[in-house]
Amino acid sequence: MEKPENHATESETNAHKPDDESEQQSHNPTETPESESSSSELSLTQAMEAVDGFIQSLSSTDPLLEIPPSVEPFPETVDSLVSKMESSGLGRDETEDSAFILAVNRISKSVMTLRELRLDSTPVSSWLNRASSVQNRAASLLDEEFRHLLDRSREKKNKNHNNNAGDVSSDSSTHETDRCVLQEEDTFPDFPPESISTLKKIAGAMISAGYEAECCMSYEMSRRHAFKEELSEVGFEGINVEDVLRIPWESLEGEIANWISIVRRCSAVLFPGELSLCTAVFPDAAATRKRLFTGLVSAVTIRFLDFSGAVVLTKRSSEKLFKFLDMYETLRDLIPAVEQSDSDLIEEIKLAQTRLGEAAVTIFGELENSIKTDQGRTAVPSGAVHPLTRYTMNYLKYACEYKDTLDQVFQTEPEPETKPNQREDDEEYKVSAFARQMIKVMELLDANLEVKSRLYRDPALRSIFLMNNGRYILQKIKGSTEIRDLMGQAWTRKRSTELRQYHKSYQRETWGKVLQCMNQEGIQVNGKVSKPVLKERFKVFNTMFDEIHKTQSTWIVSDEQMQSELRVSIAALVIPAYRSFFGRYKQHIDSGRHSDKYVKYQPEDIETYIDDLFDGNPPSMARKRT
Amino acid sequence: MLLSFRRDQVDSNAASHNNNMEAELDSFQRQVAEKFTDLNASSSGDDLLSLEWIGKLLDSFLCCQEEFRAIVFNHRSQISASSSPTNRLVSDYFERSIKALDVCNAIRDGVEQIRQWQKLSDIVISALDSRRANVGEGQLRRAKKALVDLAIGMLDEKDSTRLAHRNRSFGRAKDGHNRSMGQHLRSLSWSVSRSWSASKQLQALASNLTTPRQNDVGLAVPVYTMTSVLLFVMWVLVAAIPCQDRGLQVSFFVPRQFRWAAPVMSLHDKIVEESKRRDRKNCCGLLKEIGRIEKSSRVMNELIDSIHFPMSEEKESEVKQRVEELVEVHEALKNGLDPFERKVREVFHRIVRSRTESLDSLC
Repeated sequence: MEKPENHATESETNAHKPDDESEQQSHNPTETPESESSSSELSLTQAMEAVDGFIQSLSSTDPLLEIPPSVEPFPETVDSLVSKMESSGLGRDETEDSAFILAVNRISKSVMTLRELRLDSTPVSSWLNRASSVQNRAASLLDEEFRHLLDRSREKKNKNHNNNAGDVSSDSSTHETDRCVLQEEDTFPDFPPESISTLKKIAGAMISAGYEAECCMSYEMSRRHAFKEELSEVGFEGINVEDVLRIPWESLEGEIANWISIVRRCSAVLFPGELSLCTAVFPDAAATRKRLFTGLVSAVTIRFLDFSGAVVLTKRSSEKLFKFLDMYETLRDLIPAVEQSDSDLIEEIKLAQTRLGEAAVTIFGELENSIKTDQGRTAVPSGAVHPLTRYTMNYLKYACEYKDTLDQVFQTEPEPETKPNQREDDEEYKVSAFARQMIKVMELLDANLEVKSRLYRDPALRSIFLMNNGRYILQKIKGSTEIRDLMGQAWTRKRSTELRQYHKSYQRETWGKVLQCMNQEGIQVNGKVSKPVLKERFKVFNTMFDEIHKTQSTWIVSDEQMQSELRVSIAALVIPAYRSFFGRYKQHIDSGRHSDKYVKYQPEDIETYIDDLFDGNPPSMARKRT
Repeated sequence: MLLSFRRDQVDSNAASHNNNMEAELDSFQRQVAEKFTDLNASSSGDDLLSLEWIGKLLDSFLCCQEEFRAIVFNHRSQISASSSPTNRLVSDYFERSIKALDVCNAIRDGVEQIRQWQKLSDIVISALDSRRANVGEGQLRRAKKALVDLAIGMLDEKDSTRLAHRNRSFGRAKDGHNRSMGQHLRSLSWSVSRSWSASKQLQALASNLTTPRQNDVGLAVPVYTMTSVLLFVMWVLVAAIPCQDRGLQVSFFVPRQFRWAAPVMSLHDKIVEESKRRDRKNCCGLLKEIGRIEKSSRVMNELIDSIHFPMSEEKESEVKQRVEELVEVHEALKNGLDPFERKVREVFHRIVRSRTESLDSLC
């Protein structure tokens, strides 16, 4: 019984050996253990050569109307090959695969050529019919193998993935560690190189056979499923706009973090990986590659844009700003990964970015509104830093971490008013749209604090309040290079100057009168020191100082350095004056009765009591005189 | 960017202000009536539920939406008082319109599915194209496989799950990958979550829609009008295009007192009629082009089954004829699908923009 397929197998392996060897083999067919065929059987190589010759002859002006005997059994030969490959599958033996594909190419070529020629010959038509059936069968097999190989490689990767995840989680319980290890071996898609090489061969054969449409459909289906699985794995399923709008912000934040991580993964790993796979499987078909890649990344990206679009529809509120900016940046970083696709997709991404940007601008505007509407009529006790100041400055500081993005976002906004002569010396101001916004906010804050300061009836406390808040603002600015550069030198200098002015104001308000009572003028009456005047002076000093101590110990200066500076400056002002006054005039009272009543404080005491100031102590704790 | 084109409201006279408002609202009613009368007139036979006709419907929606936006803008002072009933009415409309966004996304998936069918019909056409080369048995087999995949792909949802279960018990044991291309095509819809249902969404869109009395003052009538238009348009889209859990059972009824009621209800009834027709009862979408593809491909399938090789001349010419028919349907779909998808996208974007504007100005 003839077994052409066995013979064919032999010859396949021979096909890749040097010529003299194969010649030897073909001369001694009966000596090969598997062969049971007679020597009249052609090896596959020879059959294919014959077919080549046949195809060539067809292009001559007088094509044969008969099928040469060497070519006649070719359809059945290939048919048997197909059956064999059906049961063994492609991707097991590279040599086998190549031989099979060469045979398929041959039969495709002969079918296509013959069909076009439309020869009017029964034997030819009959051969053509058999050949075209076999070709179709071969192409179908290739298609199945293609899909099978694509899906199987995907599944193997999933198994590995899950195994690794299992190992890591048994060692450590932290989620971060899991992620780190997985990312180390995060290649996508994780196809072994042999698979890719087989896929490439099959794709090439299908395209040559005229079955490009089927090949592309199979590729697309498998890859879409692969992506769908990737997204499902991280919990990114189809999203309903309604649901996004319904869930509370705390939960949505989690979804957004998830979204950011998967989009970043696409930018860094999945999309570039897909492009590599496409290029490897379809190296000679640039248009096909682009179409397939575009189709895939579009299908995935549209889901991402759906989510970001839905998030933008939620109610605007200030805590959302930074997440919106994160999303904006994530989309911006996605664009390079899809550059190889159609420009339509890139436009869609940019549109989604714009929406996020517009929302960010609106939210930032909310900050301005919240400052404007903060009009409480209760002054912060003790002149401390107002919560609005803290909130605003912390918000701005955080915002500055996104200054480049915010700049991009604000650049697309039209500027309502232009103040050209303001701040011409600051380069950053001129250039950065965001800097202008920041300054606007600061100016609003300043105006608001000014109003708040007038709630204090005591002008000294007013000054302390302005000092506290001004200092807080200044320290926040100085503490961050980004803000400092944005606000510019001139602005910072101006604020420092203002602080000094408030300081002077305070000193004047509080200590002016105190110093006055130590003034030498008026003490001497008719050339002699007037005891009554002196007593009065000391009394007034004591009363004032007591009052100041009692009141201003309850005031707060939060900044330690400023607190110390204040005290030092007060001490420098008061102590020398008192020391000199005390030294000069104390003796005039010492000799009388109740000198204690008048000379209450030693110069050292003054220093001690000054140190109590601005501690924020409750009034009941004001130190009593021992 | 808010509207910049509207008549002046310089007239401070309250009476004439009211007249302006009345005229505006009246004009809106008239416009809606005109658009739908037009659509009704062009809805005979093959035109109803064709890509082109639905495109016209979407255009009409966009026009009505613009007009409505203008009305809302012109009445924003009335609306911005957050406790006013008008505020509630208008916010309600914009919240409702959000539900339409999910429908648009589901429709996008449906269009994608149709595109996959196009690829299959393209294979059939190129396999059986006898202009350049003879059609051999292999080509017939190729076409046959594509037609089978197409038929499976076009099954209504319920039928396809049954088919999937059945196939699982048979077929080769090669890693269980015996799903045909057609079945693969179905499982790719992921614009909406797995539990999403088009019919439930339509019901939600229609819920609590109270009919205002005809002489209700304020914006009750235009809001009701716009809501009805929105609902109708979404209903038509779900009826025409394959999507998850399609169901047309939502009750849609507009009382005759409104000028536009007659043409809208007429269209509604025609479409319901269409859905009950024997040959379209179980289809996956009432789009005319879908029906044509279904019919052409079914006929072609039967023809192929009847062919024995060698092909007689009679059969050859029959194949040629059927291919030409299929080409016609295929071309119509190819030319119409992209513009249609763009229009759906435009509807999506407009709804989003309107809602964003309302968010910013009504709060």
